[in-house]
Amino acid sequence: MSAAELTPADLDDQGRADLRRLILTLADTKRMLGIRYSDWLLGAPSIEAGIAASGMAQDEWGHARLLYALLKDLGEDPMPVEHDRAPEAYASCDALDAEAGDWADVVAFMAVVDAALTVLLEGFAEGAYGPAGARAGKMIAEEGFHRDMAAAWTRRLAAGSAEARARVAAACAAVLPRTLAWMAADDAAATRLADAGILPSADALLGRFAELHGPVLAAAGVDLPTPDRSDWDAERGRGPGHPGLEAVERARGDLNRELFVE
Amino acid sequence: MKESVYDVFARKDRGDALQHIGYIDAPDAELARVYAWNTYNEQNWFEMCIVPRAQIIAVNRTDGPFARKEAVS
Repeated sequence: MSAAELTPADLDDQGRADLRRLILTLADTKRMLGIRYSDWLLGAPSIEAGIAASGMAQDEWGHARLLYALLKDLGEDPMPVEHDRAPEAYASCDALDAEAGDWADVVAFMAVVDAALTVLLEGFAEGAYGPAGARAGKMIAEEGFHRDMAAAWTRRLAAGSAEARARVAAACAAVLPRTLAWMAADDAAATRLADAGILPSADALLGRFAELHGPVLAAAGVDLPTPDRSDWDAERGRGPGHPGLEAVERARGDLNRELFVE
Repeated sequence: MKESVYDVFARKDRGDALQHIGYIDAPDAELARVYAWNTYNEQNWFEMCIVPRAQIIAVNRTDGPFARKEAVS
């Protein structure tokens, strides 16, 4: 933890806007990742794998709720953010805009997107913003099992049939360039966050990802590419596009809107 | 995919006895750890561990889940 711990009162309007983008980057991705995992409660290769996907979905949704709650410290009510935004406003990682087509895609979500998300969250938790460190400990501990699941399944598919190896490699390679760009934002807001000690620099985040996750991906025949930062949307901190309406309706709870009791 | 049975043991608090709480099927020990945790973590266990069922040696029973006919190497 940084010696000079920052609180919301230490931030100017620009600093609060940058921090809000970071919080939504993390929280929206956790919510979308939870939806993508939950799709595989049924349909995973074994009952145990489905239960694990379900448990990971619950973890991600719980973490999303805790992260959205960080907005309260910035004077913003998280309820409209969680329940009223259009798909175009979501800051979730580009890779989650579409659902997983097969289990290899789910493994890529674990090995690339979940991995990058935790690298970013750890960087935030270890940085100068005090409320992040206070909330993230349990989340990061739970993510240890996600990392083990990702590594085990990536290695397993890579050691399987030629088709299994090709499919997991293709799935990881497809999501890596945009996911690395999303994790390691390299624009004015990200530079200000790094200068304030709230987040590591883009290069440091990429280095951490390579150190932690590069070896497992290399075992699957996947090299780390250059981040794809084309058509960068600096307002949301991601590439163009957005998650599909069906997923956002589930994230917002549209079907049960009339039944809200909160 | 060849799977093996792993038995899951856990204790509620430090100093409590380890209890057998269930089992899972997994292709290897690494996935068995993850599956055991995700399947049985509804309680706040102090400690959880797993054992390949093939490594459990029956002492006094020749029936039940832990009885084995062949010798354990």
